This record gives sequence, C-alpha cells and structure tokens, in this order.
Amino acid sequence: MRNSLPRLTPKRCLKLAFLVAQILLLIGITGGSTTLQAATTRPPTLLSGPTSTRAIAFESVSMKAEPFPVTASVAFSTDTRTRIAIFAMNLDFLGAYGLGAAPEATTALTADAQDSAGKVYSLRIEHVGQVPGFPGITMIIVRLADDMGDVGDVLLNLNLHGTSSNRVRVAIGHMGGGPPDDIGAVATPAPVTPPPPDVPLVPETYLGPASSDADTVRFLEQASWGPTAAEVTRVRAMGFRAYLDEQFNLPPLNVPKGSNFPDMAFLVDDQGTACPATMPTDPTYVQADCNRDNFSMYQIHRNYYTNALYGPDQLRQRVAWALHQILVVSGRDITVPSRLTVYLQALDRGAFGNYRTLLNEITLNPAMGEYLDMRLSRRTDPNENFAREILQLFSIGTVELNLDGTSKLDAQGSPIASYNQTTVNEFTRVFTGWNFAAVIAAGTTNFRDPMIPRGGTNHDFNPKTLLNGLVTPQCAGTSGAVNVACAQADMTIALDNIFNHPNVGPFVGKQMIQHLVTSNPTPPYVARVARVFNNDCDALYPQGCTGVRGNMRAVVQAILLDPEARGDVKTDPNFGKLREPAQYVNNILRANNVKSFDRTTTSDGVLGSRSSSDFTNTLDQGIFLPPTVFSYFQPGYEIPGLKILGPAFGILSTSTTLRRANAVNTLVYSGVNVTTAPNTDRPRGTSLDLTNLETIANADPGGVADQLNALMLHGTMSTQMRTSLVTAMSAINDADTALRARKRARTAVYLVATSSQFDIQR
Amino acid sequence: MATTRRDFLRNTACALGSMAMASSIESFGIVNALTPQAATGYKALVCIFLNGGNDGNNVLVDLNQYATYATGRGVDIAIPQPSLLPVSPVGGGSYGFHPNMPEMQALFNQGKLAVVCNNGPLVEPLTRTTYQNGTGKKPLQLFSHSDQVGLYSTGIANIVAQTGWGGRVADLTKALNGLATFPSNVSIAGINLLLTGIDTRQLAVADSNTPLANVLQLNNGAGASTSDNNARNTSFNELRTFDNKFKLVKAASDTRSSAIQTDIALSTVSPVLTTVFPNTGLGRQLLQIARLIKACNDPVAGINMKRQIFFAQIGGFDTHSGQIAGQGALMQQVSQAMNAFYLATVELGRQNEVTTFTLSDFSRTLQPSGTGTGAGSDHAWGNNHLVLGGAVVGNTLYGTYPNLTLGGPNDTDGGATPRGRWIPTTSVEQFAATLATWYGLSPTDLPAVFPLIGRFPTPNLGFV
Repeated sequence: MRNSLPRLTPKRCLKLAFLVAQILLLIGITGGSTTLQAATTRPPTLLSGPTSTRAIAFESVSMKAEPFPVTASVAFSTDTRTRIAIFAMNLDFLGAYGLGAAPEATTALTADAQDSAGKVYSLRIEHVGQVPGFPGITMIIVRLADDMGDVGDVLLNLNLHGTSSNRVRVAIGHMGGGPPDDIGAVATPAPVTPPPPDVPLVPETYLGPASSDADTVRFLEQASWGPTAAEVTRVRAMGFRAYLDEQFNLPPLNVPKGSNFPDMAFLVDDQGTACPATMPTDPTYVQADCNRDNFSMYQIHRNYYTNALYGPDQLRQRVAWALHQILVVSGRDITVPSRLTVYLQALDRGAFGNYRTLLNEITLNPAMGEYLDMRLSRRTDPNENFAREILQLFSIGTVELNLDGTSKLDAQGSPIASYNQTTVNEFTRVFTGWNFAAVIAAGTTNFRDPMIPRGGTNHDFNPKTLLNGLVTPQCAGTSGAVNVACAQADMTIALDNIFNHPNVGPFVGKQMIQHLVTSNPTPPYVARVARVFNNDCDALYPQGCTGVRGNMRAVVQAILLDPEARGDVKTDPNFGKLREPAQYVNNILRANNVKSFDRTTTSDGVLGSRSSSDFTNTLDQGIFLPPTVFSYFQPGYEIPGLKILGPAFGILSTSTTLRRANAVNTLVYSGVNVTTAPNTDRPRGTSLDLTNLETIANADPGGVADQLNALMLHGTMSTQMRTSLVTAMSAINDADTALRARKRARTAVYLVATSSQFDIQR
Repeated sequence: MATTRRDFLRNTACALGSMAMASSIESFGIVNALTPQAATGYKALVCIFLNGGNDGNNVLVDLNQYATYATGRGVDIAIPQPSLLPVSPVGGGSYGFHPNMPEMQALFNQGKLAVVCNNGPLVEPLTRTTYQNGTGKKPLQLFSHSDQVGLYSTGIANIVAQTGWGGRVADLTKALNGLATFPSNVSIAGINLLLTGIDTRQLAVADSNTPLANVLQLNNGAGASTSDNNARNTSFNELRTFDNKFKLVKAASDTRSSAIQTDIALSTVSPVLTTVFPNTGLGRQLLQIARLIKACNDPVAGINMKRQIFFAQIGGFDTHSGQIAGQGALMQQVSQAMNAFYLATVELGRQNEVTTFTLSDFSRTLQPSGTGTGAGSDHAWGNNHLVLGGAVVGNTLYGTYPNLTLGGPNDTDGGATPRGRWIPTTSVEQFAATLATWYGLSPTDLPAVFPLIGRFPTPNLGFV
C-alpha cells in the first residue's frame, strides 16, 4: 500500500477508513513549499468507484457503506444526523501570503447534494484532512442536511473558489432513484500511482492582458455598470490590474468635489419663494422646470443614469452605489436635490478613499444630520437615532464577528452582542450638541457644509464609556468654546473607537463583496478582504500599500482580484448574486448599445416619467430612494427554503418579477420616447441599437444567440437555451427582411434579458 | 396582429402544463372537491405593520394616569387631555384614543375593536428587577429596528429564525384549504418574513392601483404575429426549466413561475367593491386585500380558499423628530383605512371571518427627544396594538396597560434619566397564538409554531 494506490473498493475503503479514523484528529491540510502557477482554481475531483460515478464513501463513525441513513446508526452527539466521509483530489487551496495569513482555511470548501426532484441541499463540511500515506488524497466529512429525507441517490459535489468538482453518486436512505448522471460524467477512480500532494494555488498577477473574454465580461459585470463590446476588447487587452489603476486615477466630472455629481445651487428653503409662479427678470423662466430641477430628484437621476451608461469612471460609480447602501441617506426624506448631492459627493470621494474619512464625512454631513436627527440631539434632550445606526449599520453590526465574517459564539453557542442599549446611550451623549453650519443666506439652511458644534452647554460634557471600555475624558468645562472643543474632541475619539473595532473589516468587507461579486462569499474570501481592510499590505496584491487601515481602494482591488471572484466560469451552485434593479437595467442598456430614441445620439438618461419615480422605482429600487435607513434590501436576507443569502431577492416578489419582464419589454420593443414641448423632461429619449444583431439575424440566428451569450452570459448559455432562442427567432418569417431581422434581434434580446440565467450575475 | 394578454396567458398555461415543474398549475383554476380535512367556512387574518416603531403611548392614553403621562411626555409630544377621544372599556377605567382616530373610537364602542396593551417580544416573563439584574432572559437586540421587526415576524424571541409565525401557521393549517393551491399567504407590501414558512411561499401583489387582472403586460411591437409571440412565449417559459442546479437561478425562476400561475388564476375575475376606501398608501393596500378576499371566494375564479393571511404595511413611524405632526397624519391614515376595510368586510358579509391587527417594530420612549415642533421619541419596547373584526371581543383592553412612571415598575431604564421603555406584560407569542388559534391552528401544533409559548401563563389572551 505504500507505493501504489489500490482501487478503493468499499471493502478496502473500510480498511483505509479505519486507519484514517485513528489519526484523524492529528492531521490537517498543510501548505506545501512548492507552488504552482495556476490561472484559476482547477475543479476538485471527487473519487468514485472504478466503473460508475458512485462515490467512495462511508459513514464516518460506523464506517458502514451506503445506503446511508439520515440519522446516524451510532449517535456521537445530541445532533444525530449522519456524517459521511468522501475522498477528493486537486484541492487548490491558497498558500500563506501577506503579513502572516495562514494557508487558506478549509472553510473555503463547500458541498452540495441534489436529489431526483432537483432539490439542492447544502451540506456542512465538518472535517478536511489528508489521508495518511496518500498526501494527494483528501478525506472530507460532510453532515447530511436537516431537511434531507429518505431521498435515495443524490449527486454530491464540492466547491472551491466558485468551481465545482465532478458530481458523485451517494445513496441516502436507499439505493437508486436519483437524478441521472451529468452529461459526460465518467467514473473518477483514484489513479494507480498515488497522486503527489496538492500544491497551494498561486493566483495570477493580472499584470498582462486578460486570459479570456469570459473572465473580462465577468470582471466588468463586477467592476462596472455592465460590459459593452468595446470595453471587453479594451479591458482584455490592458489587463485587470491596469484597468483598476486607470479607474482609481480617472478624475470625475466635478474634480474639486471628487464626484460626478455637479454642485447645485442652494435656493431658499421655502419652495414657493424659490420657484415663484413667474420671474419677471427671466423671460424663459418656467415654474414647473424650477420645481423639477430644484425640488425633485430629476437632475440627480439624469446625472446618475448618464454617468452609469456612458461615464468612463465606472468602478467609482459601482463602489459609491454600494457604499450608498451601507451608509444610507434617502431622497425620500432629503427631497431637495442640492442637499442630497452633498451626500452623494461624499460617497464618490469615499469610494477609493479611507473608510475613517468617509465615516467622519458622513457623520457630519448635513443631510445625514437631518435624516438621522443628530442635529437635534442635545445634552438635555438627546436623540439616539444616529448613535444606534452608526453602530448597527455603518460600522460594526449587532454581533461580534470573526475575521472571516462569521459570528463569534459564546459558550452556549449563541452570538455575542457587540453593544447594548447602554452603549447606544453613551454614544448618543457623544453625538450631542451639533447643528448645521451658519445659514448660507437668510432663509437658506446650510446643507452645504459639514455640521458644527452648537456651543452653549449643548454637548454632554461628562465622560462616556465607548466600545471596549474606552472612556472619553471629562470636558474641561461645560459651556461655550470649551463645549465646542469638547464636542469635536469627543467626535474624533468616538469615530476612532468605532473605526478600530475589529468588526468593521469583515462587516463592511463582506457587504462590499455581496454588492460587487457574490451573495454568499466563503469565510476565507471575507477574511482575505477583511485583512486588507485592517492593513492594506496584508494582501494578495499589496503593491503600493502603505500599511494603513480602511483603504477602500485596496479593499476593492482585493475583492475584484480574489480567486473566488475571478475565472471564466463559476460552476458552484451557490455562486453569484441577483442583479439588483439598478444593475439589471444598466447592464441591459450598456450591453445593447443604448442610444437616444432616434438612435442618432446618446440617451438623455430619463427612463421613467419626469417625477422622481424613475424606471427602477417600479422594481422597488428607486435610485437613491431607499424606503428606510435599512436600504433597499438587507445583506442578511435568506432566500426562503434555500438556506443561502440572496439580498436582492428581498425585493424580487411575484409582483416585481413580472415588472422586470415588463421593463425589458419596454426597453426592447418600445424604447423611451421623447416628450414634446412644453415638456422638456426627455429631450432625446432612450432606445437600444441592435444593428449588429440585425445584420446577421436572418441568415444566422444562432450567431445572434452566440453574441448575446458572450456579452450577457459570459459564454455560459447551455445548448438547450441556445436551441430555444434559435427556435423562437426562426419562427419569425416576415417577407420584409428588415422587419424580420429587427424582430428576431429583439426577440433574442428580450428572451436573454428576461431569463433567470441573466438575472443572476455569476 | 398584436397578441392579447389572454393569448399570452393561454399559451403560458399550455407551456407550463407540459412541464414537470408546473406541479400545481393545473389545479389553479379548477374547483376541486374538498378533502375531508378542509374547513367549511372562511377565515382570514390581516396584518397591518406600522413600520418604524409606532408610538403606542399616544395611540391610547390611560386617563387615570394622565398627569404622569403629561409629565413624562412633556409639552411637546403630550396630547392635551381634552383632545383625546374617550372610551370606557368593559373592564373599567377611562382611556382616550389619539384625536385622529375617531373611527377606531367608534368601532371600539361598537365592540368590534380591542386593544392589546403593553405587548412585545419576550423570551420569558420579565420584571424590572429581573431585567435590570440580568437574571431574566432578554430577546435578541432589543430596540433595533431590523431585529425587532424580525422578532414580531418570527414570534421566537431567543433565536434569529428564518421563518415567520404567519408562514408556520400556514404550513400547519394547509389542510384547511383542501386542494386549493393558490398561495394562502399574500403580501401587498413586498416580501416579508412574517408570511414566510418552511414550505409556505408568499404571493406578493401590488396595491389597488393595479387591477388584479392586469399584472403582466406584453407588447411585441408593430407587426408581431400570433405565431411570433407564441414562439417567444414558449421560449420565455421554457428557459425557466433550464440551469436549475444553480440555486439562485432556480430561485428567480420559481418566483416568476409562481407569479405567472397566480396571474392566470386571478385573470378570470375583476372583483368590485362599493365601499369607498381612502386613496392613501394603506387604503389602496387594504382595498386590494378586500378584492382578493372576494376573488378567492368567487366561484368563477374557482380559487376556493378557506384560510388566508394577508400583510399590509405603512411606513414613517420612526418619529425621532416631528412626532406630533408626523404620527398624527399616520394615525389618521391608519384609522380611516382600517375603518373602510372593516366596512368592506361587512359588504362582503365576511366581517366575522376576517380579523385585522396591527404590529410594529416597537413602541417609543415616553420621554421625548428634542424640543418644540421637532420633538420626537426614541426606540422602546412594549406597545399597544389594535385588533379589529366581528369575531373580536371588543370594547375591551387585554394585557395590562403600563404604569407610565419614568423609572417606574414597567420601565427598563434605571439611572438618573429613565426614558420610559415599557417591559412588555404579554408576549408576541401570546398575541400571535391567540390569532392563530382562532384561525384554526390546532392546540397541539401551537408549540411547533411558538416554541416559547409554554413559558407564559396562557397561550390565549382571549380577544378573539
């Protein structure tokens, strides 16, 4: 047994298992010293018997072969679910890197099983260890899912970095009755010669051109408002690192503010005065336009869509949009656009800045001061609103987190609260005594400049106990300039205290991953990103780092270049995210040459009616109009019945799913027409230009499907789906060839854009 | 020739019917013989969630504690005693409704409305002493919006549950609906946890601005032929049967398939009510619920439901500031919409079969935050909820109205500046279990839905 590996028949398997079981606790995955340059993670290989896909597997305690009862034959704990051992090769875990990051935790590995009804179960992996004497073979112990019954055969797979293994057959309850083998599945017996130890994965440098269109498309789905054909070509040639550097350094439109949102005039607060019925000095004045431009979200929405559709600094926009959903101010409450603009500009600046700076800017932002009432909070009548939400939503969350984003547990296995009502009371006292800066002009509240201390005795001057027991000093006095200085000093201490809490990296990092890449990142992925948040040099890609905490530019780079994010295709059934409405609409438009309604120029960026109810509002995501400080949907939203997270599914109801299809119908078949005088809201309108598809649609409908496959599904379209599209296109046979081509192209775009395959960014 | 919506639905139905995935579609539009377990009569629960934390202190004021109330609230957010709408509950005492709720005052006096006092999430009965000295078990993350909405929705105060009590009730009362396959749980306010069960998935429909029979629009543009559209729709439906080993893809497909199935079922009826509803957000939601109750009992539609749970929601209650004006407008909207909905159930002859109740994140501190017209209040705990319907034993208060003394026997807060956050004297579980029992949940199934119910003195508060 030392020099050649026998075929693992069940009988021999038991012998092996016996050996394994004896020293199971002594071993673990170790990082080897040799390294392998690999473009992306190889698929792991699960071992089967020599002639079928039936797994080499045994019950981990009794070592009995299948069929496996769902309840263990020998109960080792109060949890009586059966555990089974399976065997795999080619597990490309990451090696050690950075400032002492250990080789990748085995929690990077996940397992799923699918039954004959198509239901997919997540299986908890409880142990991963090398098989003694066979360092290239790994034993994995999985726990059967709680909702698994006597389902018969299931197909079981492992996932690593978003890449699935082959699927092997395991009998649960009874033999047989499972789903058919995957197309092309073969037996995967252990090789006759024992395989060498798995070597750590060394990620690509991404310094040269990108290796494929597919990964470039995926990269642009994550890093922009969606790939265009031209951007795929350009970014593939320049490579991902060069693209990121370009994006980090591209100036926004409003350079002094570090933002694409232009400064807006601050008119007097009273709308009737600001926009009177007539303005004798200005013959072109129209009251309706004045109201639209100064008291609705119209201009903000136009700027947002125009930049999303055509702006060059795509990454800043995507990151700022994600930050908006963490550090929420809503245009439902801050309805004056000049006021909301100052908040949006802070997000743009913060996208590649330091999170500590952003936290300070947002805390003192007058729109936030109004939204969460900090400006009203004074020593004698404190208001808890901001204090609670900065802790719960903007920084640390409600429970103590490990570096990898999982909850720390107490001795009873319960999560540990990261703060309590007393903590909120103390921070409330810290945030007392602030107000808007001096009015801009008589009757014009200052929503332009950061808030300032009120003075008087409005800031609570007694010591406050913050996180980790830190106590602020007693103020040197109680009133006047001393009170002002103390409010400022307390603010600095408190924000430092929050910012340095170990939760911030995993809390913010995981949400950023969810916004850009995938709803269910593995714990090691979260840990890699959190490490970078904690110290930008503790990174797979540390170039240019300075050893600081909170560097969002480094965090974004770490998220986008991580092995779990990159690769041509992700076969892990858990991978990906539902395109939220803003992303969904922009992706469809950008992939299909969005233009003005007459297709002679660019879209005007007005997809809906003139009001603040923009196009995505019908999909429950009006831009910058979240219903509450809890944003459009919650990062912890679990899809019912699936036991995995799907934040954007929180607003995908049986209502909005149909409205999504209807929205595509409008974009593809009608476009958004221009408005006619005197209504100047949609001067150019919006439509798709499908000329390149129409050119080939009559002769080659399959080619249409292939183009859409490449740009919208990064090459993952199944042959079944392709056939379905071709059939639908081929049914259109108008004698007028131009009409036929147009209808075929539109049909194909409609079908891909409304498909669940496109709904999910994978 | 443009395809009509009805063509689309017919084609959709054909496409779906040919697929294994459409397990329930065939029975949607068919009146089935009832199974033996099916209920003979109809019952519905209607939840109105007051999102943001409604200040129950100003919904109903104990006039015998008015001086304590006025002192605690201060001039800025106390309602002057003469403005309160007086009622005299059966159990004695003298109370006043918020001045903008004359409809609720009237329904209370008619015995159709009850108030459940100082209710909130509890792991076990708590006193000020056991709360403050830490010997009593507390619910997770008190005073946080998202967590307390979660606790009211899940009805389990000591874990982060992923199913709601309305969903679990529906799971265990499925037999009462016989062979009907229309979703029993329907939200007019988007997806919510309360209606999510282990097996039960909720239907979400838009408010009454969207007629029930007009959800899906299709427009193939000029020149589209029937055959073009049929081919497109075949593919549109077929694509949802592919790639379902990817969990998120399957979840998106399942949601759309469910929507289309329901749409087909509802497309056969256009229920009309003569009751006039206020044209407010909540009014439109409750009108849609009334229409659905009518449609789901309409023999033409053949949906034939016996048990349903509905969810409506109105936001804006997080009145950290501007409370008097803000909450005042909201209470008027709530009172008018609930009244119209009750009248609509009378019009349908189902006032004794429909029970409506309010929930909210939490109540608010008695002591104000801020001053002047900007004054508001902060997050608190025990709250006063309304229960309305012909089956309700109304004109009565249930539970115990809190002692309004700051730092008094019901206040969580100690220290020099207690703010008045009432420790609940009845639990969410008791409140929900009472409703669930009326709805038809078997007493033996109560612990499965409400695992902590045995820790409280009674599983039934008796209001319905």
